[in-house]
Amino acid sequence: MLLTLAWKNIWRNKKRSLIILTAIALGLWAGLFSVAISIGVWEATINSTIDRNLSHIQIHTKEFKDEKLISNYIPDGNTIADDIRKDKRIKEVSGRVLIEGMASSPTSSSGVNIIGINPENEKEVTSISSYIEEGKFFETEKRNPALIGKKLADKLGLKLGSKIVLTFQNIDTTLNYAAFRITGIFKTESTNFDQSHLFVKNTDLYKTMESEPIISEIAIRLNSSDDLNFVYSKLQLDYSSLKVETWKQLAPELEFTYEMLILELEIFLGIILAALLFGITNTMLMSVMDRIREFGVLMAVGMKRVRVFFLILIETFVLSIFGGIVGMLLGGITIWYLSDKGIDLSIFAEGLNAYGMPTQMYPVLPLYFYFVLILMIIITAIIAAIYPSIKTIKLMPAKAIRTY
Amino acid sequence: MSLIELKEVSKIYNTNSVPVRAINNLDLNIDSEEFTAIVGPSGSGKTTLLNMIGGLDNPTSGTITIGGTDISTFKTDAMINFRLHNIGFVFQAYNLIPVFTAKENVEFIMLLQGESKEKRETEAINLLKAVNLGDKIDKKPTELSGGEQQRVAVARALASKPSFVLADEPTANLDSVTANNLLDLMEKLNKENKMTFVFSTHDSRVIERAHRVVTLRDGQIDSDEKQNELALGQK
Repeated sequence: MLLTLAWKNIWRNKKRSLIILTAIALGLWAGLFSVAISIGVWEATINSTIDRNLSHIQIHTKEFKDEKLISNYIPDGNTIADDIRKDKRIKEVSGRVLIEGMASSPTSSSGVNIIGINPENEKEVTSISSYIEEGKFFETEKRNPALIGKKLADKLGLKLGSKIVLTFQNIDTTLNYAAFRITGIFKTESTNFDQSHLFVKNTDLYKTMESEPIISEIAIRLNSSDDLNFVYSKLQLDYSSLKVETWKQLAPELEFTYEMLILELEIFLGIILAALLFGITNTMLMSVMDRIREFGVLMAVGMKRVRVFFLILIETFVLSIFGGIVGMLLGGITIWYLSDKGIDLSIFAEGLNAYGMPTQMYPVLPLYFYFVLILMIIITAIIAAIYPSIKTIKLMPAKAIRTY
Repeated sequence: MSLIELKEVSKIYNTNSVPVRAINNLDLNIDSEEFTAIVGPSGSGKTTLLNMIGGLDNPTSGTITIGGTDISTFKTDAMINFRLHNIGFVFQAYNLIPVFTAKENVEFIMLLQGESKEKRETEAINLLKAVNLGDKIDKKPTELSGGEQQRVAVARALASKPSFVLADEPTANLDSVTANNLLDLMEKLNKENKMTFVFSTHDSRVIERAHRVVTLRDGQIDSDEKQNELALGQK
């Protein structure tokens, strides 16, 4: 009956209740949507980094982590890669040769990260093949094909079919010069990546270096990122002499920034709720002031102060939760709709790409955020109810009954 | 032993630091089953006296005993609990809960007493039938006339099965016919249910029907007469 009374009291002044309900709902809707966009942007950035070249897990020698020299390759790397590939949780494994070298065109030169790959494996591990803007992803008969980033191609004045000379160290530290032909130009969301990376076939590198098929990096793509920790632990046990790292360890700034972002977004929602708190308190205070005589009567006829306190608390709680649920529903529906359709931000492409961010935005809101929000609303409602409740229970019934 | 006993009761208000003696060393006994009106001019202390008897205000000095219990020293929550189980209130402005129906208004007191839903509903309907509102149990206060609202208030006052009912100017907002009907009802409850009624009033219609009339002046009892004595005096 106390609940019924609280519910009926809320709707006694429909206009006032609807105004604060709308404020709560719109505030939360806007807050949730902003949060979902921020998380969506950052998750897309992380996914894009994983897709582009990072993959889920990478394995190197411990020496390679200290000094990125070709001589620090993984002993029996290809055998290890084949063994890892047998695990059903793993989608594909790419054995890469990583060399820091110099790319020279007739007009200019630039330092580059040369990545020797097996195109078939790499296609399944990263999505670099889908970023080809001109040419093809190694589907060519030409000798020594190379894929180059658009930014680097522009910098070196190279076009599709242009020749490029790569200079790098051999395993025995002697310098090697090799000519490659640009057969594809890629453009990812990251201009930094496009400016500093160049892909060639690892078989071409072996020929050039007159080397056995060696690899300095094993990049692993999982079927599901949920298996990340399990597979990581297993690989660590199996290959304890090597350095096994997840994308979180490979790019700690991404994980750290994501965690900081979540914290910031929770604070952001807290600020929205703090602003709403004053609105709710004000509404409840007005509601209580309108009913001073009634509260006087209730206390006169025997309603204990704790019950009066709870009545106001329930009213505030129901009002806040009701507004909160409407806001969360609105937010949830908006996020669900846009998470499928996406938001086209291509007009900001240049700025976003400088930070490796995609131009198509898909808002994402983890489920736990809704629970955090419900908890925050409950806390807000309780805080908002305190002042009006205390004011009410301090009323003297004899005086309150005579208030008009 | 009297149901209500006031012994050397004084109430002093400090308005703007000036002490105002609303009730001055007053002694009063009201027995069970009485139908008593407290009358007097404005500022004579009627409302203060009623508030103190009803435990809505504490005396500055003296003792108030209800059914042998000294209520003058009760803390707030103990007093609220005492009121809930011992005192029924009828107010001038009815003061029903506007969002509740007549039945819910009556039921609410029993809810506060912790009665079961079935008992609450049965009792509430019976009480509303007793005040001739059996056909209006689902009406909200705004759908009832002033007289009907006051009858709901009487039913509400009786719902807690109190020792006595305090009625503060119960007929002030009612026309003559309605007021007389309400007084008939209260008299009936007094006679048949042995319910004690204490009124604070200006209304001659109430004074005429009261069995005892206590007249206050300047916070003290000016006269205390049985109705037949008063009637004789008027004649």
